[in-house]
Amino acid sequence: MADTKTVSSQHTQTNPRGIPVAPFIDDVSDYVSSRAEVESTLRSFQEMISKYQFMELNTQRRGAGLREKIPDIKKTLEMVRFLKLRRENTSSELTTHFELNDTLYARASIYPADTEEVYLWLGANVMLAYPIDEAETMLQEKLSAAESSLANCEEDLEFLREQITTLEVATARVYNWDVVQRRKEKAEGKGGDEDEGNAAKGLAQA
Amino acid sequence: MIQHRMLSKEDEVAAGGEENEVRREDQEKINRFSRLHQRESMLEEQLKAKQKDKEDLEEISTELELADEDELVPYKIGDSFFQLPLEEAQSLLSTSTDQIDSDVSRLEESLEEIREELQQLKVSLYARFGRSINLEV
Repeated sequence: MADTKTVSSQHTQTNPRGIPVAPFIDDVSDYVSSRAEVESTLRSFQEMISKYQFMELNTQRRGAGLREKIPDIKKTLEMVRFLKLRRENTSSELTTHFELNDTLYARASIYPADTEEVYLWLGANVMLAYPIDEAETMLQEKLSAAESSLANCEEDLEFLREQITTLEVATARVYNWDVVQRRKEKAEGKGGDEDEGNAAKGLAQA
Repeated sequence: MIQHRMLSKEDEVAAGGEENEVRREDQEKINRFSRLHQRESMLEEQLKAKQKDKEDLEEISTELELADEDELVPYKIGDSFFQLPLEEAQSLLSTSTDQIDSDVSRLEESLEEIREELQQLKVSLYARFGRSINLEV
């Protein structure tokens, strides 16, 4: 990330999570003064792209983890809410088939009086009894927290994509500039370059 | 959940004659396009999943219409089934259905907005860069 700063000191803004903004080149010829610099410039762009892609991959993983976690929290919350509603409305017992193991269900009767407390698995081999209202609040907080980190992840992913796009366009422009320079040199009879050199400026999605 | 990384590869296009310089505003448009395109793919995926859930719920509603009123219905909440009176099961079901309906229409609306903006960006970027830019999937 330090590289981004050295490449262009005027672009040190970052997004809310501290990911730096990729430098934008206003004019290629200000940026690359001779053809000799082309290769090193392209290499530095590639390096930055790799860094962004690395962050992108990590963020995607984090997002996938959250997307798995959120339905679990939702399910638990739904159950807690259901139990709470039952407690308030009826006193008759509740017959349930609960999952004992994958595809194995057992029957149980639950009296609303027994649902004063629920036990929440907190992870790290700890299970804690919560009064049903507290459980609801706790789960609701967990859910909101997970949802907001997911939103941040998604925002970061979009931001990263923009930075990668900026650098890809910059790459294409430097490359194009090089092709044009090469043609000029050739026209002036200096260059003995064999290759035709197709200019590439592409922004491909997919 | 599975969001494929969008691999970018430079589409080689023979640039004829004078090259249009990429101005900052152009870059911003390209970035906006890229951002919205990514968001579009993500929302499409979410919509697909929700629509499947919606279909499932609709199927259950139809099934429940036929159920015997005097019998308890095993209704799934979380990972367990609860024996509930038909009426109660139906009311829980309609809550879920309403929820999913609003989710689906919300997703559809955002997708529509995004597609509209993408279209506008496409028009203006193609007008500026012509064949030198490829915005197709």
